[in-house]
Amino acid sequence: MLSRRALSVIVAVRNGAPTLVRVLTSILSSNLRRDDYELIVVDDASTDGSPELAGRYADTIVRLTGRSSGPGYARNRGAELAHADVLAFVDADAMVEPDTLQRMLKTLADRPALDAVSAAHNEACDAGNLVSQYRCLLLRFGERRENGANGNLGAPCTLIRREAFFSAGMYDEWRFETAPVEGIDLGTRLRESGRDIVAGRDLQVTLLKRWGLLALAGEVCSRSLLIARSLGYQRARRAFPGDIVFTLSRSAAPVFAVLCIAAFSAAFLPRPRLSVGLAVVILGAIALNLPEYAFFAKVRGIAFAVAVIPLHLCIQAVSGLGLCAGWVLRDTFGDGAPDAAIQAYAEVGVESWPPVPRAPAMATTQSGATKITSA
Amino acid sequence: MSQLGSDEHQNNDRSSQAHAFADAVVAESAKMVYRVALADLPRGAKRPHVSRRTPRVSLIVVLPENHVVSPDRLAESLRSHGNKEIDIVVACAGQPTNLTALQRSVGEAQFLLAPAGTSVEDLRELAMRQVPGDIVTLLSGGLLQDVGGTAEMFVSR
Repeated sequence: MLSRRALSVIVAVRNGAPTLVRVLTSILSSNLRRDDYELIVVDDASTDGSPELAGRYADTIVRLTGRSSGPGYARNRGAELAHADVLAFVDADAMVEPDTLQRMLKTLADRPALDAVSAAHNEACDAGNLVSQYRCLLLRFGERRENGANGNLGAPCTLIRREAFFSAGMYDEWRFETAPVEGIDLGTRLRESGRDIVAGRDLQVTLLKRWGLLALAGEVCSRSLLIARSLGYQRARRAFPGDIVFTLSRSAAPVFAVLCIAAFSAAFLPRPRLSVGLAVVILGAIALNLPEYAFFAKVRGIAFAVAVIPLHLCIQAVSGLGLCAGWVLRDTFGDGAPDAAIQAYAEVGVESWPPVPRAPAMATTQSGATKITSA
Repeated sequence: MSQLGSDEHQNNDRSSQAHAFADAVVAESAKMVYRVALADLPRGAKRPHVSRRTPRVSLIVVLPENHVVSPDRLAESLRSHGNKEIDIVVACAGQPTNLTALQRSVGEAQFLLAPAGTSVEDLRELAMRQVPGDIVTLLSGGLLQDVGGTAEMFVSR
């Protein structure tokens, strides 16, 4: 019976109790028949009772203990247990619409040559605060600029054929333990191997997470740093131009944002000529971001667009600094990698549970056995 | 968690006969049957990190009141895990019947008896808090009237 299911929905969670129930009930409220899919929740060493909550709704729970290994690692463990030919990866803070999964599944069924389909972010964010609203709109703005054929796997809900997922080597659990950019990386690898991905711009999910200023700045900084260090900016941008980092770093905007903040700080010095300089860079930064502000004004009104100008400049500056730090780290230390003990365990091939993260050159077959690829 | 004792027998109607039957089973293997309520168990207790070579697998059979599960479905679930050793937990709300048959079918199972009226979700969460597995599969029973015959079914009433 299990093998006849059309879809395996995999949700990786780490301390996501506040949003997990709403996410799982939104999946259960899908138009799909309950027998047509299995729901697998992988708990990445939570301490807030997430696995027990997940047990209220899921078919299978995978409990990872010890330290957190990241969403890519957790999703891979779920995929290894999945029975269906199509895998759906849904974030633990993303609520799907009732028809989202059904329509995504139909898209794959209608186009046999297509290997993956991703959903887009809803303009509306569940949290009502300014920072969260701004973040969701920014993501949406980036996705709108993408060509529909240029889908990505960094979205909060993606469907991918099982065969394509495993032959691409699954999510890279070796390099991406923290910032969730493993989806961009997987999408890039799939594209480079000639696979086809599409973005369903009218297929939307609503983010339930609430961001404060520091949380957003931290997320953008670590994401920028990791993209620049591990993926390479240009390579990742081709794969996922709608990502928040690329939206923020469009043209020379981050440079102007950094100058803007520096000039604003300098304006407190008693030198009148600095005020002129400040005005110039602020006007320059605003001019570079006019498309974003126009979009914000169209969706939320002019007051919102004006209110987020300082926030946008700050986050843009953080993104620029994160990218620079990533490039410096890449040139100085090379690509990121797990600590020496994990590298040693992986090299020896220690069999354990939870499994030792696998290096990128190791791909996993559908049965879970590891083999060396020519990559 | 408290172990079930062989008290509170009522023998004057069918319901009390079911109680007596269950208690007889309990007396037979008292260590494997527990009466539990969701409120008694803490949520979010950190699981100790125990490194092992292969994951520990648990199967939870969820049987709310008036739900049944067939031996075939149970066997299929067990088969899907291959030859791995599996901890089996049967979580029932109300009073289960055919308990001995179920026990015979699944072997060394642990039985959780929740108060009558416990919802499916509460029953599942309750069992999740009890099982030791790294990989936990939950198998929900079907409604008695939907599934039909009960001769070989494991029923919770």
